[in-house]
Amino acid sequence: MNKFMNMLENVLLPVADKLNNNRYLTALRNGFMVALPIIIFGSIFVVLANLPFLDKLIGEDAYQAYQQALSPASQATLTIMGLFVITGIGYKMVEQRGGEAIYGAAVSIAAFLVLTPQVLGDTANVIPTSILGAEGMFLGIFTAFIAAELYQLFVSKNLTIKMPQGVPSAVSRSFSALIPISLTLAIFLAVRILFGFTDYDTVQNFIYTIIQAPLTSLGSGLPATIIAVLLIQVFWFFGLHGQIIINSIFDPIWYALNEQNLEAFQAGADVLPNIVTKQFIDTFIVGIGGSGMTLAVLLAIFIVAKSRQLKDLGKLGIGSGIFNVNEPVIFGMPIIMNPLVIIPWLLAPVVVAIVTYTLMSIGFVPRPAGVIVPWTTPALLSGYLATGNKIMGTVMQLINMGIVFVIWLPFLKVIDKQYYEAEQKAN
Amino acid sequence: MKKILLACSAGMSTSLLVSKMEAVANERGLDAKIWAVAQDKAPEDMKEADVLLIGPQMRFMKKKFEKTGQELGVPVDVIDSVSYGRIDGSAVLDHAIKLIEKN
Repeated sequence: MNKFMNMLENVLLPVADKLNNNRYLTALRNGFMVALPIIIFGSIFVVLANLPFLDKLIGEDAYQAYQQALSPASQATLTIMGLFVITGIGYKMVEQRGGEAIYGAAVSIAAFLVLTPQVLGDTANVIPTSILGAEGMFLGIFTAFIAAELYQLFVSKNLTIKMPQGVPSAVSRSFSALIPISLTLAIFLAVRILFGFTDYDTVQNFIYTIIQAPLTSLGSGLPATIIAVLLIQVFWFFGLHGQIIINSIFDPIWYALNEQNLEAFQAGADVLPNIVTKQFIDTFIVGIGGSGMTLAVLLAIFIVAKSRQLKDLGKLGIGSGIFNVNEPVIFGMPIIMNPLVIIPWLLAPVVVAIVTYTLMSIGFVPRPAGVIVPWTTPALLSGYLATGNKIMGTVMQLINMGIVFVIWLPFLKVIDKQYYEAEQKAN
Repeated sequence: MKKILLACSAGMSTSLLVSKMEAVANERGLDAKIWAVAQDKAPEDMKEADVLLIGPQMRFMKKKFEKTGQELGVPVDVIDSVSYGRIDGSAVLDHAIKLIEKN
């Protein structure tokens, strides 16, 4: 068993290393982190704009005026989150290479806008917000990658205007970016023009049809979700941060799905298009005490544990566990490399994913509304918020906690017995 | 003063450790600045640190941080996973001090 585990770790560690230190994935992950505070601001106001019973309390008209007044908060942030993701990725791409990161951000936004058709129907001189949101997510990511790389390439070729000595450094810096930015944007303009001659008409349409739509439809399905969840658990089993590794691949898909739901939710749709979204994973699978939903495991420990070790673990883990930080449980139980926990550790999240998916698809539980709930939000509250202020979201989390509890219980009893007997012998 | 930087994915679980380590440092009368950051902030904060310790769940980033560490002369190591699980401030503080003194 040990040999096998060491072998597996020897396979997984380089994979984690590769994925995590890949320049593009690093920029992607850190770029999303730049956008996150802005996205969460917007999410808070979606939650506030949809408070339950408020329409009954203040009347339908006042409620609509209230929603209207709050709408810019989410329209300017969450709805066009692609813009902030692009900014973050462009910045981080150039920063990694030690260049002037702010130009990376600027050139990425400009390149994206160069590719963006600035008409909507018959109205000219507008930028459709849908393109800055869900629809443009993938194109935005690729654009930021390519624009930042091109910019860096032209900078490294030293195609810059050299200023005579005595010119203030800020002035010469602004010129030093001129040629690399101009060349980069010229290339994007050429690309846009070329696409005008194809059946796709716009690059947006091309990327959306060829890459984004197939990938998101794949990612919105249960099989891909189970694979992602399993991979997260397997990485954690070896003590490697599963989400940070898997999210850098799945986040663009999950966020794009999330945005589609938000659009529908804000338009007042009865049934939202997607079940699997960023929040499906974060709120209903991970966000119940952290990866593996260990809050339910801690509850089980409080109820059945007799051994000192598990009781101490419960006390140590509960404080941070409420806020979905569960390293004390993972390393303290320990969960890593522990053959006794591998079955519940891998099984519980998969069962939870299937049950949540099923209950959402039959409409027993509302689907995630597209708001982004910070991952440290305690369980039960997060389920309520993620479904757009629906108590059934909390119920879903309770059901999931029950599932984890039941699956873990027999295994936990075995572990507890082992620890307890060892402690008795030691005394 | 010993400046000890910890890093994990979001700086959350390492910040649990920070408060424990600070308490131990206080007890020992040790002058230390201990703080935790998210992994993307670590290279920047390393400039002000004497040592960087990363959470065991981020050990696949060690190589990357070691490169920065060599440039800055800051030793980098992974926190022992048993100490991490127990949030053992004393053991991790010892580990950090040993690395600083060896450097």
